[in-house]
This record gives sequence, C-alpha cells and structure tokens, in this order.
Amino acid sequence: MTVTAAVLPEPAAPPDAPGRWSMRGRFQQWLAARTPATDVWVLTQRNVYILPTKGGVAFALTLLLMLVASINYQLNLGYVLTFLLAGSGLVSMHMTHGTLRGLTLRLRQAPPVFAGEPALLEVVFTSPGDARHGVALRFADRRKHGSHAFLDVPALGQESARVSVVPPRRGWHALPPLVAETGFPFGLFRAWTVWRPSLQVLAWPRPEQPPAPLPPSSPAPGESATARHAQGGEQDGVRAWRRGDGMRQVVWKKVAKSGEMVSRETASAITRELWLDWQASGVGGVGGGMDTEQRLSRMAAWVLQAEHAGLVWGLRLPGRELAPGQGDAHKRAALEMLALWG
Amino acid sequence: MATTLSLGLGAAAARWRHLPRDARDTLFQLAVIGWTFVPHLSHLAWWCVLMAGTILVWRGALALKSAALPGRWLLAGVLFSAAVLTWWSEGTLLGKEAGVTMLVMLMALKTLELRARRDAMVVFFLGFFLVLTNFLYSQSLFTALAMLLSVWGLLTALVLAHMPVGMPPLAQAGRVAARAALLGAPIMVALFLLFPRIAPMWGVPQDAAGRTGLSGSLRMGGVAELATDDSIAMRVRFDGNTPPPQALYFRGPVLSRFDGREWTRLTPSFPPPQRLRADVQTLGQPLRYEVTLEASRLPLLPLLELTPDRPDSAPVLEGWTPTLRSDLQWQLERPVTERLRFQAQAWLLHRHGPRAPVIGLRDHVVLPPGFNPRTMGWAAELRRNPDYAQADARTLAAVLLASIRSGGYTYTLEPGTYGRDAIDEFWFDRKLGFCEHFAAAFVVLMRALDVPARIVTGYQGADAEPVDGWFIVRQSNAHAWAEFWQPGEGWVRVDPTAAVAPDRIQRGRSLQPQPGLVAGAIASVNPQLLAQMRRLWETLDNRWNQWVLNYSRGQQFELLRSLGVQAPSWRDLAYAMAALLAAGSLAGVAWALYDRWRQDPWVRLQKRVRYRLLNLGVVVHPHESPRTRAERVRQLLGGNGEAVAQVLEALERERYAQPSRAKPDGRWWRAFRTAVQAATR
Repeated sequence: MTVTAAVLPEPAAPPDAPGRWSMRGRFQQWLAARTPATDVWVLTQRNVYILPTKGGVAFALTLLLMLVASINYQLNLGYVLTFLLAGSGLVSMHMTHGTLRGLTLRLRQAPPVFAGEPALLEVVFTSPGDARHGVALRFADRRKHGSHAFLDVPALGQESARVSVVPPRRGWHALPPLVAETGFPFGLFRAWTVWRPSLQVLAWPRPEQPPAPLPPSSPAPGESATARHAQGGEQDGVRAWRRGDGMRQVVWKKVAKSGEMVSRETASAITRELWLDWQASGVGGVGGGMDTEQRLSRMAAWVLQAEHAGLVWGLRLPGRELAPGQGDAHKRAALEMLALWG
Repeated sequence: MATTLSLGLGAAAARWRHLPRDARDTLFQLAVIGWTFVPHLSHLAWWCVLMAGTILVWRGALALKSAALPGRWLLAGVLFSAAVLTWWSEGTLLGKEAGVTMLVMLMALKTLELRARRDAMVVFFLGFFLVLTNFLYSQSLFTALAMLLSVWGLLTALVLAHMPVGMPPLAQAGRVAARAALLGAPIMVALFLLFPRIAPMWGVPQDAAGRTGLSGSLRMGGVAELATDDSIAMRVRFDGNTPPPQALYFRGPVLSRFDGREWTRLTPSFPPPQRLRADVQTLGQPLRYEVTLEASRLPLLPLLELTPDRPDSAPVLEGWTPTLRSDLQWQLERPVTERLRFQAQAWLLHRHGPRAPVIGLRDHVVLPPGFNPRTMGWAAELRRNPDYAQADARTLAAVLLASIRSGGYTYTLEPGTYGRDAIDEFWFDRKLGFCEHFAAAFVVLMRALDVPARIVTGYQGADAEPVDGWFIVRQSNAHAWAEFWQPGEGWVRVDPTAAVAPDRIQRGRSLQPQPGLVAGAIASVNPQLLAQMRRLWETLDNRWNQWVLNYSRGQQFELLRSLGVQAPSWRDLAYAMAALLAAGSLAGVAWALYDRWRQDPWVRLQKRVRYRLLNLGVVVHPHESPRTRAERVRQLLGGNGEAVAQVLEALERERYAQPSRAKPDGRWWRAFRTAVQAATR
C-alpha cells in the first residue's frame, strides 16, 4: 500500500539565512553535520529524537491532579491508579522511540518530470524486527509543504510511502529534508528523525502552452526535396525494425502475422529531417523579446510535437547539438539537454 | 429459542465486523465510558443518569449512521442546564458529589465533540479522572478490578487513536495497551511502595463524615441507618483466648449532655479539680489485641473496654498521638483518613471513675426542664415507693431493667419517628426502639432518680466467625449503651438493649441484611456453599485491605526498616525513590548501549559459529554461508565432522525458510555445540 504526501514547490533560497556565528547558525551547522545527505537512512539511538507532546504535558498535569486528589482523600487505590498511568506513560516513551529506532528508510530514484508537475518519489521503510505502527512521513518544513502520510511497517517487512515534489524550474533539484515521526502508542511523546536525502530530481523545462507550430523541416543532405513526399503514405515501404523506431512506426498488423518486428518507412522519415534550433525559437514571441526560459519551453514543446508526429529531428543549442534521431531515448536526451542547458 | 438467540448474536457480530473504522472505535470508546459510569449510578442524581445515558446512546446512534455531530451551541446549552440541575440537586457546584456529577456530564458531552485528536485526548484524561472518583466511594477489590478494566479500555482506545492506518483489530490495540501497562507495573509498585504518604494538604471536605455512627452526637433515628450499613468498621485479632462476643465493647464517644432532643459530649461546668478523672483500676488478666481500623474520618480510636493509658497497653501509632480522655475514650489529634493498624492491651474486668462522690458527678444528673414530664413523674413515683426511697444505684438499675424486660418493649430497627417528648412516647406508648432508645430512656430515668448516668456509643460484638484470624466489626455493630455511677465502684456499664434483645448482644449482630437475589438462590440450594464463598471472598478482601488499602506511612517505614534503615523518615523514602530512579536510568543507558552494539541476531550467530569452527581447526570466512561452511567441515574433518556439517545445513534451511524467522532458534545452538564437542573428542 502506498500513501501520498502532497507537497508544494520547494523554496528558491532561505529568505533570511542565519549568520554563520549566531547561535541559530551554529545549531543549524551542527544539525547539518549530524544529518549527512544520504539515500539510505538507518534510524538509531543517535538520530531519533523524542520530546513530550502537548497531550503528554496535559497527561502529566492530569496525573498531578490525580495525585493531589489521592493525597487529600487518602485514596490508596488512587495512588495505584496514578502510578500505574505514570508507569505506562514512561513505558510508552520507550515504545514511541522504539517505533522508529531500527527502521531503515530508502529513497527510490524518480523519473524526471516537467517543471511544475509533481514528481512522485517512493520512500521504502524496512523493519528489521517487530511491526511498527502509525509512522508518519512529511517534509521538515511544515509551513511550506503539505500533509502527513501515515503507514504501518509489517514485521520483517517493507512498506512504502510516496512523497511528491513539484519542481518550479528546470534543472536538478535537491529534495527538502524529510521527517519521519510517530506518536504511537499513546501520543504522549513524539519521536522523530530528520533525513536529508541526497537524491535529486531532474525537471525538464515546462512545455509552452499552447505550443507554437514546428519550424519548417529541411531536406536531408543528398536527397531530393519533394520527390516521394507528394505521393503521400501509399508508397510507404516496410523495413525491419531498428533501434530507435517509435511505437507508431511499428506495423502491428504485420508483426502479428509474421512475428517479426517491422517498421513503416515513410517518405518524410527518410527524406526530411527537422532541426529544432535555438535560433528559430525566438521568432514570433509575444512582443518580440523572449527570454531564455521561454525559448527553452518552446523548444521542449517542439520536442514533444516532433516526437508525437513521428519525425526525425535534431536539437541545436548554442554550443551544443543533438544529432537527428527518433524515439523515447532520443526525446529524453533532448529534454535533459534543455533542462541542464546554461 | 436458543437458535434465534445465537442467530441474533451472529448477526450482531457480523454487523460489528462490517462497521466502518470510525464507528467501531467510537462505539468501543462509548462502551468503555459507559462502563466507567456504572459504579457511579448508585449515587448520582436521577437526572444525571438519564442525561448521561441518553447522550451516550445518542452518540452511539450518530456513529452507527455516520451522521453529523450536533453544534456547539446545543452542547453549551446542555452543559448550562446540567450546571443548573447540579445546583438544584446538590445545592452547590463544589464538593465531591457536585464535582462527580459535573464530571460525568462533561465526559458525556465531550463524546459529542469527538472531532479532532485533541478532543480524544481530553476524553481520555477526563476518563482517567473519572476512574479515580470511583475510589472516593469504594476501594473494594471489585471496584479495583472493574476500574482496571476501564483503564485498559481507555488505554486501548488511546492506542487506536494513534493507529491511523487501515482498520487495526481491537485485540491488537488491546495487546499494545496491556503491554505498556504490564511493563509499567514495576514502576507503579516501586512508586506505590516508596512515594511518601503525606497528610492531606488542605481540609478534606466533610461530606463523608456521616459514614459512621460514632459522630459524637446522638439523636433518635441516627443509628438506624447504620444498623443496615454492612460495611466494615474495623478488624480485630486477639492474642490467645478470644473473648465471647457479649464482652466486646469498643468504646467511642461518651455522651453526657442532653438538651431534650440530642445527646452530645459534656463540657464540664466545674473547674478542673472537681472534674471526673479516669481512675482506672484493672483486674484479672490483660488481653492483647490488634486492630485494623478503617478510615472513619473521626478523630478517635474505638478501643476495647478497657484499654488504659499505660506504656504496655496504650496503642502506638507512627505519626499519631492517641490520648485517653477522662471519659476513657481514646482521642486522636486529627480525623482518621487512612487505615490504621495497631496493637493494644485491654482488661475486660476493670473499674473506673471516682469511687467517692465528687461534685463533677452533678453534671451527669442534669436533665433539661420541660421535657418528658411523664417520665419524670414515673421516676418520682418510684422514689416515693418506700422500698426504693433509699435504694442505691445498682438496685434502681435492676428495677429499670426489669421494667424493660417485662414491660412489653420490642427491639426493632424501624421504630418510626418520635416527637418532642421522645422518652415519654417510647417509655409509655410505643415501646418500640433499638439500642439508642433503650440507652437514652435508661439514662434519663436514672437521672430522674438522681443517679449520675451517661450514654456510651461505640461498637459492640463482631462477626461470629473470624476471617483469616481477624474478627470483623461492621458498621451494623454500632451500638449505644449506658453507664451509671455506683458509690465505691465508680462507673458501671449496663446494656439496656440486652434486657430486651439478648441476641443482639450475644450474637453480636443485630439483623442479617436481606440476601441479594443470587445469594438467596445459592443459599436455597446449598447454604454451606454460600457460607464458603462468603468466607473465601472475605479472606480475599481482607488480604486486599491488609496489603493494598492498609499500606500507609507506618508500613512504608516498616519496609525501610526491613531493608536495614534505622529510624526511617520520609527523607529516606525520597532517597530510596531517587536511588531506584537512578538505577532505572542507568539500566536504560546500559540497554541503549547494548542495543547499539548488537547486530542482527543471525549475523551474531554466524560470528559465534565461526569462532567455534576455528577452534575445531576449520578456517571459514565471515561472509560464507552455513552451507559453504558445512562443505569446508566435510573436506577437512571427513566423517568426523559429518554431524557438524549436518547441523550447519539445518541452519541454512532454517535461515532461508519461508516465512523467515526474526531470531535463530536457541535449540539450534545447543545442537551445534554438542556436535562440535563430539567432533573434538
């Protein structure tokens, strides 16, 4: 079973970074040193913290009141009850801490997403012993990021929670610190651990909406420009499937009959190649001037369109070039180039 | 019929299983709260029972229908009306009764507000406090067991509230709660034994004072309720011979002042030199005895007549200074709010009071003018009789007792109410009464005859059969008798009730309480079984009282003494508690270190196996599996190591079995060790 925690975009930069030598700054440094960025977080005595909750403080006050009542009415059973609850409360502290201690948290790599879209990351909890109940996972910054995801980890088993982050911009994004916490069994204490995952999420540029029309394609070198293209798809040939051929190019009917993978050889695919060029992306923008991000967005949208249309296309950025090609791997390479450019 | 019933139960069980999580948890919580209310039903106002019950049922119905909860304004309105009703029925919003009533109402209303987690916590804490209030009324073993169940239920509900995933079974949450409570039990025992018992921090509200008849005053009708109160006043154990029940008089307040309606203690009207003194003279053999006195909330010890104020006989109580009043009642400096246990020595044969006339005796012949004219006339008539004109007190007492015996008087617990001239009415008209009527009439008549006399209240008799060696004195043993003054002898005890109801004195029991329905049924089938069950129960109850409820400062100091502390004080208790706490913390630290050190039990086992094999001369690497190791053993030791190799292969099977085990079986290690030893030889 999986659980999702909705999360808002992570912040650009800490608004008021505390001074290096201030108390808070030192504390943050010390904390950062204690919580190295890692993708496998083993919870031990050293990194599980515990404090009473508000409910725990209220419980202590109730016990105090009960003790006073027992003293004033000289109720020996009142003492028994008060001390039984006090003992159970103390034991619950160990149980709360034990609910987290020993767990191993692992983060699974998430596929890249477009900026502004949620990336789902799977956090796998592994229990080396008993079942653990009521463990919550959330992002450390409660004000900026959403809710809890609760899960129970079976004995000697695994359970995963999914957290989602929405990268606001293209590029690599570090995950904000995660907190695993629990109040089980009585909610009198809260045990928690802070985990800074080292894993990063790649965000492709957000495709332009609505997409601009593709730039015109040019004839491939050494081929006549329009020869077979005018006769449409009827004369399309069929050839053996090659790596890089898209799903759309596969002639599924023939595959079903012959059992061999065959691809459709369209005229355009052979004869025309499309260059998605940085130079062309600035044209036709509203008000003329388009900034880098907008141009990258437009190019991302082109990549998607070109791939959708089953064209052979290449990508040109100032100083970098992706040779023409086709298929999912080609698309990913192009989008990654766009994401990391600059 | 039986089929229908089982079908009905089956349907209910199926319904229960298919309830949504929220509804099930809420119903469970309501059941626990209702169970906690049950012991309160007997002393709550009817409107409170009705309202709380209605609210719980309503909340249950809402949970079943998954309907919306009522708004806050409605709740506030109900709460306000509950406060008004409390004021109306209790006359106050403070004090025990009003407090419990309000607590029950608050608890019931809070269930209608169970929205957030915070609300749930509030319900639990109110619930724990409500459990405590039950102990104000009863601390019996029954109550304790019932409330243990309540606490378990509340803790289980608390655990459920912190298991947000899926639909955990109730039994699972119950196990977690029980585990926490059981692991917490040693802490409870340590705190219970060592937490210094201190006196109440402020005055205990006196609303419980009416529990005993020895309240220091007597008004016609007051003892009637007590006679039906079967609760235990004290327990007595005798060293050596047990005296007959009719000799057991436990002396309480002595009442000498009569205002026509009420008997109270005397405030002497003479200066100290002329007042009466105790002047105790003991005769015959002393009787050593031990008493466990229940919390009477009265500042006195009802001791066996006569327990003199001598070093060898006076009761010794840690933290108390009992003093013997001149009227021979043992006085304490503050009300008894805990169970007290002490030893004392009494002389059943004794004399006390002045032997020669003193002016202070005149206080004991005073009668209020204008009351009971016919009784006065009767006494004057008697005095005019030449036979009795010069008769001494003893003769006159005999005459009065004879009149009681032959005058058609009836001993009854329901004599009805008496008017202004109560003695006249009793002595001449109705002739119905119990001990206080007889004692009061006797004393008034003696005084009318100019003989000093007074009423003594206390307990008389005990249960016929001892329980665990202890004789039980119940509140129904509360009694009133009389003393008159005889020149040359001092105060002489006379029990006018014995003249009309000798059974009351000899059996020590006034009236058996009506048996309950179940007890009645058992008694009609097998009376002995009932007696045995009763005996067993009272033994259990006595142990409970001795070990749990009786545990107080004296017992704490005894415990410390047995641990070798000389002259213990509350500071030693605090030290002991601190030491225990420190030891507990150290143990926790040690455990944490151990926990850090320990690895996966399988890995540790692999390590141990490796060392053993090294001793055998077989070198294996840490990463090698048991199967590889078995191969190596076969290679190097041949047939000699076959047993060891087989055991290792068994380990391999066990390790990778489905479902896999968290820990290796301890038996495997023993088998392995045996095999290795065999191979070494």
